[in-house]
Amino acid sequence: MALANQNIRNFSIIAHIDHGKSTISDRFIQVCEGLTEREMDNQVLDSMDIERERGITIKAQSVSLDFKSKDGETYHLNFIDTPGHVDFSYEVSRSLSACEGALLVVDASQGVEAQSVANCYTAIDLDLEVVPVLNKIDLPAADVFRVSQEIEEIIGIDATDAIHVSGKTGIGIEDLLEQLVERIPPPQGDPEAPLKALIIDSWFDNYLGVVSLVRVIDGKIGKKSKVMPMSTKAEYQVDNVGIFTPKRVEKNELVAGEVGYVIAGIKDIEAAKVGDTFTTVKNPAEKPLDGFKEIQPRVFAGMFPVSADDYENLRDALDKLHLNDASLHYEPETSQALGFGFRLGFLGMLHMEIVQERLEREYDLDLITTAPSVVYEVETTKGETISIHNPAELPAVNYIEEIREPIIRGTIMVPQEYVGNVISLCIEKRGIQKEMKYLGNQVTLDYLLPLSEVVLDFFDRLKSVSRGYASFDYELDHFEPAPLVKVDILINGEPVDALSIIVHKDFSQSRGRVLVERMREVIQRQMFDVAIQAAIGGNIIARSNVKALRKNVTAKCYGGDVSRKRKLLEKQKAGKKRMKQVGNVEIPQEAFLAVLKRDEN
Amino acid sequence: MTPIPLSLYVHIPWCVKKCPYCDFNSHQAKGEIPEAQYSDALINDLESELPQIWGRSIESIFIGGGTPSLYSAKAMDQLLSSLRERLTIRPNTEITMEANPGTFEQERFSAYRQAGINRLSIGIQSFNNKHLKALGRIHGANEAQKSTHIAKQAGFDNFNLDIMYGLPKQTIDQAIADLQQAIDANPTHISWYQLTIEENTLFHHSPPVTPNDEILWEMQQRGQKLLADAGYYQYEVSAYAKEGKQCRHNLNYWQFGDYLGIGAGAHGKISMPDGEIKRHTKYRHPEKYMGEGINGKARSSEKKLATEDLDFEFMLNAARLKEGFTKELFETRTLLSFSAVEEKLNTLIQKELIEYDNEKYKPTDKGWHFVNDIVNSFI
Repeated sequence: MALANQNIRNFSIIAHIDHGKSTISDRFIQVCEGLTEREMDNQVLDSMDIERERGITIKAQSVSLDFKSKDGETYHLNFIDTPGHVDFSYEVSRSLSACEGALLVVDASQGVEAQSVANCYTAIDLDLEVVPVLNKIDLPAADVFRVSQEIEEIIGIDATDAIHVSGKTGIGIEDLLEQLVERIPPPQGDPEAPLKALIIDSWFDNYLGVVSLVRVIDGKIGKKSKVMPMSTKAEYQVDNVGIFTPKRVEKNELVAGEVGYVIAGIKDIEAAKVGDTFTTVKNPAEKPLDGFKEIQPRVFAGMFPVSADDYENLRDALDKLHLNDASLHYEPETSQALGFGFRLGFLGMLHMEIVQERLEREYDLDLITTAPSVVYEVETTKGETISIHNPAELPAVNYIEEIREPIIRGTIMVPQEYVGNVISLCIEKRGIQKEMKYLGNQVTLDYLLPLSEVVLDFFDRLKSVSRGYASFDYELDHFEPAPLVKVDILINGEPVDALSIIVHKDFSQSRGRVLVERMREVIQRQMFDVAIQAAIGGNIIARSNVKALRKNVTAKCYGGDVSRKRKLLEKQKAGKKRMKQVGNVEIPQEAFLAVLKRDEN
Repeated sequence: MTPIPLSLYVHIPWCVKKCPYCDFNSHQAKGEIPEAQYSDALINDLESELPQIWGRSIESIFIGGGTPSLYSAKAMDQLLSSLRERLTIRPNTEITMEANPGTFEQERFSAYRQAGINRLSIGIQSFNNKHLKALGRIHGANEAQKSTHIAKQAGFDNFNLDIMYGLPKQTIDQAIADLQQAIDANPTHISWYQLTIEENTLFHHSPPVTPNDEILWEMQQRGQKLLADAGYYQYEVSAYAKEGKQCRHNLNYWQFGDYLGIGAGAHGKISMPDGEIKRHTKYRHPEKYMGEGINGKARSSEKKLATEDLDFEFMLNAARLKEGFTKELFETRTLLSFSAVEEKLNTLIQKELIEYDNEKYKPTDKGWHFVNDIVNSFI
């Protein structure tokens, strides 16, 4: 059997947000001279504005660098950057499985966080060599001893020879590269075997079509060869392969062990899904690589253009976003209250926020987004099981045999002093404790929690009860029957479908009241009284009233400075931009999200 | 086609003291007002504008401020003469001057009348000492009352009183008492308007506590009834007049007529023969204005009104009028086809904010209270 190039090292960096992944990767590029000084823009890898602003990587990317080691050899390093958020755990697992090793970067002043732990476990599961790295050792607050212990206790890997670095000052970076080359194994793989190339990520480029980032496990993939993704068996001719240095550099072929891009005239990223395996048409592999999954959205929300004229624009924008984001699901939806729009499916809350922000920022759309909901399984009295993506679709009570809600298994890591708060929060959120581990000062809590409660405001609450110290990771566990009811909101007697929520029976009264109160606060006074009610079926459980505005008129207007009057009125009007006319009542965007921002007092 | 009426606005920018609610272009007078120098600038400013209005007569003149009654009678007389020499001003043209009660002297006001001022607009605001103080006015209740006597004595049979309501800590009864006292002075016109906190005023930076919406509403209801019963007909959001005594000058603004503005910070709007409508603005600061005005270069900006803004600007004014406007008025003043606004007006009719009586479009009783919403639909 032939052997892959033994001077290749494929690795990822596992790190919590702000623990310094981007700075370290920039240092790598600098040391290996991947870019000239002039080309170095800070944090090269986070290329989308939103990624840069939020410090989160959304798409996987890679950089191939040549590192001249002290042992005289030149090593070819492929750094695969992984998405850094709980919503993207599947993508993370695919990125990791393209590597032989991972650097676990922990902020030496902060310690281990839940998300790193989850990703680290994934890496260990996938048999990766995990090399612990303590970053930010230049900070006065750095506590190398404590954090090393945390790594050992919580993750269970030996941290005695953790590498101490500072991405900011550059201390220890060369040593880190030497250690990386020494400790992370070279790729296995057989260059002569039939092609197996793992699709790490795919994106759409306006000029090139779909570009897939791949790790060649076995065989080779070269220009002009015919390949197919094994899940679909659709055939494509390879136009172009190459690597990112991080500039795109064309090559004749990618061989087992290498990481690079493949362009094969694919028009739709659905045809090159993350986790799928490319093989050649002529001499196909017998089996695809393990781990491929069709990813299902977990959180759903309606998005409606404020102006009905924008419906087509919204569709175009979604089509375009979908070109680069196969995990975004959308289908047309009609709401009595909000008109024509789309029901969107997301991987999680962050994914939803990002999509919403991009639609508004990049496509300049004014949207009303409804409160996110989860998928419920309903067993009807006829014995059918249906999936409910939208509270408005919930059948009438007499047709429901049972409603089941998604339950997640969440891992929370928190310093001891906040454990009490976190446990209270989890109880309030109908959580069931599965495990509690004390490890040093950190406590790990395992809870089963209804996803609907997590979607509500769990992240924000968790942050506030732990003063920002708690970290959280979760995965879907199972569906479970629960006594759930639909609470409708009526505005001037008319139910507004987009405001309906599904809640646990025990919370329905209080949530109905809070919701009505929130509505009263956000709905501006109009020319007439607005009655707001919450109802379960025919029962009104809460009511409130927005008193009519008496007048809206400028007292003085005598020729003069029209432009200022205009500006004032324009301001007034802009305030109404994100309003949706429901019946004759103008309802602001906040109203549709009011369910999320419950006031706990 | 009826020609578009043209009015003249003259701004006198000085006050004894700047009031905390005032957002007009007014400056505290430091010592003597440079009357001669300012008048020269005004006249040169006017002359530079004359080519724009060639052959058109002046329908009304409004001398506003600031406090124009700080101008000496002699200076005012000279100024009016200079205007007459350069403009076509027919006899009986309405010539209004603003005056503040703290500046009233019998002799001077008689002289103003002699000079040809035939209408006064007196900034009373309130007859209550406590509220006058809160408003930062320099006059007291006595002076307020005295000013109306002096006006009458001086021969002004046509004058307006400015009264405000919704003043800091004002009760409904106090607001009504102010209004009753104004009515008792028997003016031909009352401008009764709610105190509004404007940007760029002292009140905007440290807002006083003013009555809540319900109290304001009650004040308005009672006040309007009081005025109507006393024979003052409301013809605009804040303007009430005895029969035939509507302010022609302001009415021209509200009917989207033309006006030339001279003086510091004055605005103008002129329809050109080629169908363009232009707005111009004069330098705001008196020193700057006098410096540039003397050379006939008082304009700080001039701009052509964009076609797409015309409907809005028309409505901003005309929707304030109780009697509304006709299609013809819209078309002659904006030179737009009525179809540009017909659909929006019909929507407003559906919303019961506007009514159409086969001649005029006018705000309904409800629309009257929501003029901003009417105007907003044309932005």
